[in-house]
Amino acid sequence: MIKLQNRIGVVALIFTIAAFCFNFLPNNDKTVADFTLKNTDGKYVSLKDYPDAKGFVVVFTCNHCPFAKLYPPRLNALNTKYGKLGVPLIAISSTDTIVYDDDTYPKMVEKAQSEQFNFPYLFDGEQSVAKNFAAQRTPHAFVIWKENGQWVVKYSGAIDDNGAEPEKVTDPYVAKAVDALLAGKNIETTETRSIGCQIIFRK
Amino acid sequence: MNKITLAICLLLFSASAFFAQSYNTLWIPDTLSGTNFNLTIKDTFAQLTPGNQTITAGINAKFWGPTLFFNKGDVVHLNVTNKLNEATTLHWHGMHLPAVMDGGPHQIIPPGTIWQPYWEVTNNAATYWYHPHLHEMTEEHITKGIGGLIIVRDAIESALALPRTYGVDDIPLVLTDRDFNTQKQFVTVPYGDSLLTNGTLRAQYNVPGQIVRFRILNGAIERSYNIGFSDNRSFSVICSDGGLLNAPVNVTRYLLHAGERVEILVSFTGQTGQSFDLKAFNSTLGNFVAGGENFPNGPFANYLGKKDFNLLHINVSAQTANPITAIPAVLTNNVLLKATDANLTRIITLSDSMGVTNPPILGPNAFIINHKLFNIDYNEYQVPLGHTEIWEIRSTSVFGHPFHIHDVEFNILSINGAAPPAAQAGWKDVVFIPGGQTVRFIAKFDDYADPLHPFMYHCHISLHEDEGMMGQFVVTEPASGTLEAITDIKDIVLYPNPATDRLFVSFSNPDMEAYYVRITNALGKTMYMLPRPQLADGIDISQFAAGVYILQLTDEKTKKVFTQQFVKVRKGL
Repeated sequence: MIKLQNRIGVVALIFTIAAFCFNFLPNNDKTVADFTLKNTDGKYVSLKDYPDAKGFVVVFTCNHCPFAKLYPPRLNALNTKYGKLGVPLIAISSTDTIVYDDDTYPKMVEKAQSEQFNFPYLFDGEQSVAKNFAAQRTPHAFVIWKENGQWVVKYSGAIDDNGAEPEKVTDPYVAKAVDALLAGKNIETTETRSIGCQIIFRK
Repeated sequence: MNKITLAICLLLFSASAFFAQSYNTLWIPDTLSGTNFNLTIKDTFAQLTPGNQTITAGINAKFWGPTLFFNKGDVVHLNVTNKLNEATTLHWHGMHLPAVMDGGPHQIIPPGTIWQPYWEVTNNAATYWYHPHLHEMTEEHITKGIGGLIIVRDAIESALALPRTYGVDDIPLVLTDRDFNTQKQFVTVPYGDSLLTNGTLRAQYNVPGQIVRFRILNGAIERSYNIGFSDNRSFSVICSDGGLLNAPVNVTRYLLHAGERVEILVSFTGQTGQSFDLKAFNSTLGNFVAGGENFPNGPFANYLGKKDFNLLHINVSAQTANPITAIPAVLTNNVLLKATDANLTRIITLSDSMGVTNPPILGPNAFIINHKLFNIDYNEYQVPLGHTEIWEIRSTSVFGHPFHIHDVEFNILSINGAAPPAAQAGWKDVVFIPGGQTVRFIAKFDDYADPLHPFMYHCHISLHEDEGMMGQFVVTEPASGTLEAITDIKDIVLYPNPATDRLFVSFSNPDMEAYYVRITNALGKTMYMLPRPQLADGIDISQFAAGVYILQLTDEKTKKVFTQQFVKVRKGL
């Protein structure tokens, strides 16, 4: 319905541009390193603090982005459902805080309280973790899975396919990826483009 | 009824149901008027199509921005806050104003910063617009939706019996096109598959059964629109880019290129209850007019190429209380510039960088002006203040380019040797240079000399502009001895310091004036960009957090920069 007519040429072009500009195409071998970041409760959090975790849902998000603001209830729900199945959710804010006063650590503490986050909300002030994951936009979700002692990226992209109208979601990408991993099945969609505010890396 | 008939009936029924519900009501941008305008550029999202929302950027809105009403003669103050997470600029397209207020590639607004340009409106009544102009980012920022219309009113236009009830019989139409990817997000491409009118897909609108005015902007990245009506009716062009024509010009088609505006009057008298379409008849465009190509694939392939398509579905409703039912025979009396008044003629060339070897053009193959790519540190021309100049644009490019110049409105003298068509024989700031042809226009550069901040001229196809099809000029004052008298400038003093609400500047030499003030916080974030601030009432710092700030002031005459610190404290401390 969007395109008045779908033509292979344009679709191929979009994919080509995306592949060049955003390193968009799936790479199933990609691994990410553990990290240690400060949580809004003042304590430091690493992946290795969860010895029983099979995997994680890591969501790069922030306070200020209008699209990120739509997701806190869905992040709480994901952590409630999958945390007890061994796939807890961790949120990380990597926005440049010189540009956005709203994303400073004290404002993150306020946000975690006001939205009653049931998951860690970590401050990546150096932006190093976002760079390691190659996070593009807020929110950008990664489903990572422990394989041979390494954290392998199994899904990267949007949380689902409707930001402002959760009741109209037809493809909950992250939930489906975690369900497939828990069931030992192949993930249907391993990569989408994250949609939201670009994470601008400080030079 | 046999099965085939049934199937056909079902198909027709579902098709008619589809078309019946396929129109969306045209969105009319909000308005702002007065002399102080608050504009906040922000990242946001909009429900432009069914399904997921599209990440957009807007000004006080989810896509595009408010229509600003200016009165000729007013001094307008624009309070622009950049809440994007990247730098941008906001250019007042068509406005005659000081270069330092122009919002071109030099007047960058860093993220989180407030920029406060102001100027006296000297433009004629017409439709102008504002849009981002950050070099190499213009296409992307315009694609996101940043922009808005400016409607200038003056005594001449106001005295005419013209439709001017905004959104009723005076309807703004911003034409553009976009591509949506499978996740319903914009793709930054020169041609989109989906036409958007005021950000509305498949727009329809109810107009009264009388004379209706449409103010049409081509806000596309690249495409031109060959505007006409589905019944091939004649309509009257009353206003080009920069002012009313002397008299209405009746046409059945008007080809509008990127950046251009046109105001037309259309009579719907006696047609209440009927429906018509405003269309782009682009199937008739030549191959080297943007949108006239029909590439099957590659980066320029698009669904609308070389096709006729709808711009607006028009339903004619009842007349309003005091309808305009006649079109004035005379609109104004333009005093156009004469070729014999010109101080000089400049020759500007448009060409393709392919094959240019001395020196070779770096980067991808691009269209170029005067055999070079844009260089932000190089002023091609010094235009003496008060000059009247003919600019002769000679194109060897096979493709047609809409050429735009900042600072001035001009008169077209000739298009490939012939006089311009009547509908373009008024004030213009964009002129289409057909491939391989020469266009001459004349303009007067009668004020706003500034040796530091240049004005731009460029192709208004954002893709071409971003790739370097742009140049710049400064307007210069004749040399005088005044510089010597003010070599005795010493310094500036900020008071009170610490300050709470307002910060004042005192100069050690009364000849000093502020050309530019920039305030940054201790982390280096820019808080304010203030071109030629009026410092008598101080600078409002009441919204700043407590802390140390740095004020940089550039002196008007010497362009020497002074830097001072001040401390902001909360009230009561």
